[in-house]
Amino acid sequence: MMSKHWLGKVLMGLALLVGVGLGLSAQQPVHAAEKTYTIGTVDSFEPFEIPNNRGTYTSKNPGIEIEMLQQIAKHEGFKYKLKVMSFDATLTALQAGQIDATMGGMSVTSERKATIDFTKSYYSSGVVMAVAKSSKITKLSQLKGKTVAVKSGTSGAIYAKKMAKKYHFKVKYYKTDNTMWSDVQNGNSAATFDDEPVLRYGIRNGMKLKVVTKAVDSQPVAMGVKKGQNQELLAKLNDGITWMKKTGRMQKLINKYTKGSASSADSSSQRTIWALIKNNKGALWDGLVETLELTVVGAVLALAFGVILGVMGIAENRLLTGLSSTLIYIFRGMPMIVLAFFIYIGMPSVIGQKIPLFTAGVITLMLDEGAYVGAIVKGGFEAVDRGQWEAARSLGLPYSKALVKVIMPQGIKIMIPSLVNQFIITLKDTSILSAIGVMELTQTGTVIISRNMEGFKMWLIIAVIYVVIITLLTWLSNYVQRKVG
Amino acid sequence: MDKQYKVQVKDLHKSYGQNEVLKGINLNVKPNEVVCMIGPSGSGKSTFLRCLNRLEEPNSGHVYVDGYDIADKRTNIDLVRQNIGMVFQHFNLFPNMSVAENIMLAPVQLKKMTKEEARAAALKYLDIVGLKDKADVRPTTLSGGQKQRVAIARALAMKPDVMLFDEPTSALDPEMVGDVLGVMKQLAKEGMTMIVVTHEMGFAKQVADRVVFFHNGVIQEQGTPEEIFDHPQQEETKSFLDKVLNV
Ligand SMILES: Nc1ncnc2c1ncn2[C@@H]1O[C@H](COP(=O)(O)OP(=O)(O)OP(=O)(O)O)[C@@H](O)[C@H]1O
Ligand SMILES: [Mg+2]
Repeated sequence: MMSKHWLGKVLMGLALLVGVGLGLSAQQPVHAAEKTYTIGTVDSFEPFEIPNNRGTYTSKNPGIEIEMLQQIAKHEGFKYKLKVMSFDATLTALQAGQIDATMGGMSVTSERKATIDFTKSYYSSGVVMAVAKSSKITKLSQLKGKTVAVKSGTSGAIYAKKMAKKYHFKVKYYKTDNTMWSDVQNGNSAATFDDEPVLRYGIRNGMKLKVVTKAVDSQPVAMGVKKGQNQELLAKLNDGITWMKKTGRMQKLINKYTKGSASSADSSSQRTIWALIKNNKGALWDGLVETLELTVVGAVLALAFGVILGVMGIAENRLLTGLSSTLIYIFRGMPMIVLAFFIYIGMPSVIGQKIPLFTAGVITLMLDEGAYVGAIVKGGFEAVDRGQWEAARSLGLPYSKALVKVIMPQGIKIMIPSLVNQFIITLKDTSILSAIGVMELTQTGTVIISRNMEGFKMWLIIAVIYVVIITLLTWLSNYVQRKVG
Repeated sequence: MDKQYKVQVKDLHKSYGQNEVLKGINLNVKPNEVVCMIGPSGSGKSTFLRCLNRLEEPNSGHVYVDGYDIADKRTNIDLVRQNIGMVFQHFNLFPNMSVAENIMLAPVQLKKMTKEEARAAALKYLDIVGLKDKADVRPTTLSGGQKQRVAIARALAMKPDVMLFDEPTSALDPEMVGDVLGVMKQLAKEGMTMIVVTHEMGFAKQVADRVVFFHNGVIQEQGTPEEIFDHPQQEETKSFLDKVLNV
């Protein structure tokens, strides 16, 4: 199930130190009957924890573990309060004594046993392989030379990495389930590995994949308390788990989420704009970040390229001015989408080397936006009074010093409004890069809609995000301009 | 090239396309000499002056300043220009800098003066032109006469041994002209070699060692102020002086 990387280990180590300190000073006996336990759980881990639109676990189908805890508490007669946080944070909080127990699809590992007393396991989860509905792949051996998509940090990712050498496939890491799944659905990746319940739950919610292997690397899942602490609660949880298993309640609950009727998309409330944002916030966020990264990196490179073009454009050398105007003419005249295809699809066959998507996107922006910036810079320099050049040069300043010390500062002032405008256009133009598959905001929208078919609402959401970002940028640039001017 | 001259011009030609603006100019200027150039509009005075520091490139001929041939492409013009101060009709102060920074720029960039030394020098030159209190204002806040005096201080800060003036007072309100001319007279008195294109006949009479009359791209006549103003020999000179002196 969930695995943690080195950061998690560091945090846990720190938490352990803190926890020991706190534990020594605050070791009061627990009066269980009256006590309300604080149970830490994760913010989302479907189908074990399924938050509603507001991020809480009060819906009809809050997830396997949440429902299990409800039943156990009732049966054992204790009260509890849920504290929702990230998985790593639950482990830290447990060691720091901020929570009495943790629950979140946690695998029982020998490493964790050093600091955690686990309850009995109530579930055993393994990694399976899923492929697109139409795919003919059923075995790992068929993956040779192909790409496999996994979500970083999951046991699916660890398994894929372990198997990649043996079966000669490539591993591509994603941050969100949505983008990873759509990559497999679209056939860009041949398969994905993930925990079986996670995949099965996703499939039942409309993901167009199928599970083709049996679960491997099975690991027991359990709740935990801090080692040596809260033994009373541990006993109650164990008693409750035993009871649930013996009476078949546990299996019924698991079936409900992996085979039965419970799904996250079961109510119309899930289709409101807020629900769509909530359900896709990870993907939307990633898309927005990608858009902003493209914009910033693209704009910086475009500025550099544009300044070079602009400086060349006002040079005394005819060759340089000619080259500058030619480049500006070509890249301004070419539709950006054609430029993007040319670089991403055309260039690799010439240079004999693949160009990564982001790089291709950024080069496209640099050339296209850079040409506009070049024209702006050239125009800005030319707008500076000729007499300024003559005064600077007649003092004996060489061309470069006259340019940098006298002409540039004045030219930049003239250019700034146009440059800011071009920056905003650059942000908008990143959407064109969706054509070559860059996972920026627009492409993210396309992918989400391919899953949920909510075209109108999703595009509305995306449009609003763009407008909001551009409004913020405009405010910022106005502020900067007022400061400069 | 003759060592006794600060500036020596030999058979200078300059054309803009088909239009020959300078048709073979010869002129020698001795150290400490003040030469005033007068003549009708379009006669080539500015073009000639700008050829002296290669703001315009001559088509043929030679221009020697301090022994360097300005017209020769191999001459390091940036180095020679440091010794030729130029003052423009429209001041051309740098609006992105304060008055003091205008004056400090070239000394700091070229003479490897420290900022402190350059500022001290700038204040000294501002004092000479009577504007010490304006060191830290922007040029845009100054009057025309003040701007031109700052421009002169800026040129002086490079310690040039020749100063070129292109109608330094013709963009000024009449009441400002006196201040600028006053500074120029002072310079002349201290022995600066000056070549001045001007419409201020009074200044030319009073300060010039020699007056040069330009007409149609040639030097039509030259001589002492008395010779030119009181006993002009050429018809063109007479008619020009008639026009400018009897307005
Ligand atoms: N950059 C240029 N391109 C083309 N022709 C020019 C250029 N500069 C000057 N000329 C022409 O050269 C001739 C001489 O101009 P110049 O400016 O030297 O005259 P001037 O004697 O200084 O006149 P003014 O008293 O009006 O300043 C004019 O006919 C002018 O139109
Ligand atoms: Mg002129």
